[in-house]
Amino acid sequence: MKKIYFDIAATTPVDPKVATLMSHVMTQTFGNPSSIHKFGQESHSVIERARLQLANALYCEPGEIIFTGGGSESNNLVLQGILKSGDHIITSAYEHPAILNVVEALKVKGVEATLINPNKNGVVDCNDVISAIQSNTKLISIMAVNNELGTINPLAKLSEISVENNILFHTDAVQMFGKLPIDLSEIHIDFLSMSAHKLYGPKGVGALYIRQGNKLPAILHGGGQENDLRPGTENIPGIAGFGLAAQLATEKMVTNIKNILELEKRFLSALTEKDIEFTRHCNSHIPGLMNISFHHVQSKPLLMNLDMMGVAISAGSACTSGTLKASKVVLQLGVSEKLASESVRISLGKLHSNDDVDYIIQKITELIPRLQKTSEINV
Amino acid sequence: MSKKKVLVAMSGGVDSSVALSLLLDEGYECIGVTMKLWENKDPISNVVRNSNCNTVEAINGAKLVCDRLGVHHYTLDFMDIFKKNVVDDFSKEYLAGRTPNPCVRCNSFVKWDTLLRQADIFGIDYISTGHYACVQHEKDASYLLKGADTLKDQSYMLWQINPDALKRTLLPLGGITKAKTREYAKSRGLETAQTPESMDLCFVSGDDYSKFLNEIMPEKMNLVTPGDIKDEAGEVVGEHTGFTNYTIGQRKGIGVAFPEPRYVKRINPMDNSIVIARKDAMYADHCYASQLNWFVEPPIEEMATFAQIRYNSKGSNVTVVKEEGNYRINFSEPQLAVTPGQSIVFYEDNKLIGGGIIEVNS
Repeated sequence: MKKIYFDIAATTPVDPKVATLMSHVMTQTFGNPSSIHKFGQESHSVIERARLQLANALYCEPGEIIFTGGGSESNNLVLQGILKSGDHIITSAYEHPAILNVVEALKVKGVEATLINPNKNGVVDCNDVISAIQSNTKLISIMAVNNELGTINPLAKLSEISVENNILFHTDAVQMFGKLPIDLSEIHIDFLSMSAHKLYGPKGVGALYIRQGNKLPAILHGGGQENDLRPGTENIPGIAGFGLAAQLATEKMVTNIKNILELEKRFLSALTEKDIEFTRHCNSHIPGLMNISFHHVQSKPLLMNLDMMGVAISAGSACTSGTLKASKVVLQLGVSEKLASESVRISLGKLHSNDDVDYIIQKITELIPRLQKTSEINV
Repeated sequence: MSKKKVLVAMSGGVDSSVALSLLLDEGYECIGVTMKLWENKDPISNVVRNSNCNTVEAINGAKLVCDRLGVHHYTLDFMDIFKKNVVDDFSKEYLAGRTPNPCVRCNSFVKWDTLLRQADIFGIDYISTGHYACVQHEKDASYLLKGADTLKDQSYMLWQINPDALKRTLLPLGGITKAKTREYAKSRGLETAQTPESMDLCFVSGDDYSKFLNEIMPEKMNLVTPGDIKDEAGEVVGEHTGFTNYTIGQRKGIGVAFPEPRYVKRINPMDNSIVIARKDAMYADHCYASQLNWFVEPPIEEMATFAQIRYNSKGSNVTVVKEEGNYRINFSEPQLAVTPGQSIVFYEDNKLIGGGIIEVNS
C-alpha cells in the first residue's frame, strides 16, 4: 500500500542530508565536548558550528542561542525562569500545551495569567494584549504560528508593545522557524523557542534564543553546559542535525515556500473542481498548513479511513488526539460545534509532489460521500 | 476478490490479541480498536486512578500486538455511551434492590452496537472479540454456541446481543481452550501472552461496588440507611447496614447469629428491609423474566428447554410459559437464590436460543 504523510505540522521526516551528517557525527565524533583533548575539541566544534548555523538563520549572535531538549523545554526555561509569585503573564488561549500547562502549574505557585482568545481570523489582536497589561505584567508570551490553524501572529507589533511597556516578550516559534523568515536584528524579541523536528531535523533537540542582556536562572542543575542552563553532556549528533536542518531550511526557504504554495493551490482547486463542500478556516496562514472542515463529515472517521488507505492527516493537534470531540482551538474562532468537529489539519511540506496531492484528493473524493451517509445515521 | 474486513475489539489482553492473530491467519484484513469506556477518577481530586479498565498498559499492549501483526490500531472514546447504558443502569438496579449484570449490557449495548456503527463508518464487514463462544452462521440467521472450553464458555454473557448484529460477528476463540490461546500467544511472541485473567468488574476498582456506588451517586446513597433484617414471618431479627450492601443468596457478613446459617432471600427497598431465610427456603420452582431476546422463534404459549440462572451454574430443564407481557419460567429442579436483575439464559444443547432478565418470583 502506498503511504503518504500529510502531517508535516506534527513532525517531519529527517532530511537525508541531515541523517547522513548525524550518523557520521554519532560514529566518528564521540568525545565529550567538555574534555580538553582532541576528541573533546572535535565534539565541541560540532556544537559551536551548529550554534553558528542557527544564529545565521535568525540574524542573531551565536552566544544568544542555547540548545535544549526541545520546544517544550525551551518554553519551560523561560516561563519558569522569569515568573515568580505575584507576577503576571499575558499569553493566548490557543497556545500549545507546552505553554498552557506551564502557566497552569505556575498559577498554583501564585503567578497571575491572562489568556487572550484569538479573533475570528485566528490571530491574537494587539489591542487585547494592550488592555490586558497590568502593573505586575512581567512577560508576554504569544506563539508565532498556531499549530492547528497555521495563522501567523503579529510579532513585530507585539514586540513594540512589550518594549514600550518594559515587559519581556517570548514567542514559541516552533511552527514558524524554518518555514518563514525570522529576523531578530529587526524585531526585538527577548526569548524565542525552537524545535528541530519541525524542520526536517531530529526529535529530542530544541533551542532557545535569549537576547543579549537577558538572564535566566537554571531550572535543572548540574555541569555548566549551555551557559549553565542545560546541564548534562550534550546530544552532539542531534545538535549537529539541528544546525544543518536550520541551514538547509534557510537556504531553500524561498523555493520551498513557492513549491508548497503551488501544491496547496492544486489541492484546494481540485476540491472545488470535484464539488466537495468545505470550509478552510482563517484567511492567512503559513504555507502548507490547511485547517479544513469537510461539511457533514466528522474529523475522526475521515482521519482513520484515510489512515487505513495509507494517507496520514490529523484532527486537532497530535498531542490532544484520542477523543471524538470538537477541536478547542477551532471552537475559539467562534464557529459552530458541528463545523469544529469536522475540522482536520492537512499539512504539506517540501518533500511532497503533485502525485502525492492527486492521491489524497482521489482518496478524499472516494470517502466523503460514504462518510456523509454514515454521519447521517449516527447523528 | 478483495479480502473481507474485520474490526477487532482489543482489550489489551491475551484473548483479543490471539483473536486478531487467528483472523489474520484465516486471511481477513483487520483493524484493531480499543474502546475507552471508563476513567476511574477520585471524586475529590478528579485524578484518574488505576482500575482494570483501559489502563495505559492495556492500550499499549493492544498497540504493540497490532504493530507486530502489521495492523492499524485506534483508541475510540465510548465513555459517554458506557456511562449511559451500563453505569447508570448498574446504579439504578442496585437502588432498586436488584443485582445487575453490567457485563451483559456492556456486550450488547456498548461493544456490539457501537462497534457495528464504527464498522459502518470504516466500511468494514465484520466485528470480532476474544470471547469464548462460537458463532454459527446459517443462511438466514446466526446463532451463538457454547465455547469449546467448558470452563471458560462466555456465551451466557452474550445473550442480549441483537440477532442481526450476530450476523456480522466472528468469534475466533470459540473453538479453542484458554490454555491453547496462551500457548498460541507465546508461540507467536505476542506481547500480551502473559497478561493476567481479568475477573472483576472492569469499572469498579478492587471489586468494591459499595464504595463505587457511594462515589458515583453520593446523594442517593446517603438515603440508603440502616434498616430491619426480618425473618420470613416478618419478625425483626437484626439491623442491616444499608440494603445495597447485600445480594440475594449472601450468607457471610449478614450480622445475625443463628444456630443454622441464614441467607439473604429478598431485598425490599420500599420498606428498607432485607429478609433472611434458611437454605431450604432459598429454592424457587419458578421465576419471571423480562427484556427477552430470542435467537429462535419466541414461544407462542409454552416451550420446554434448558436454562441457566447464573454464569457457570449447572442449570435446569424448564418450561417457558408466555403470560401477559412477561414470561414465567418453571424449573423442573428448584433453583437456589434466584436473583432479580441477573440473566436467565436458554440453551438447546450447545445452542443459545435466548435470554432475559430475572424478575421477582412472587
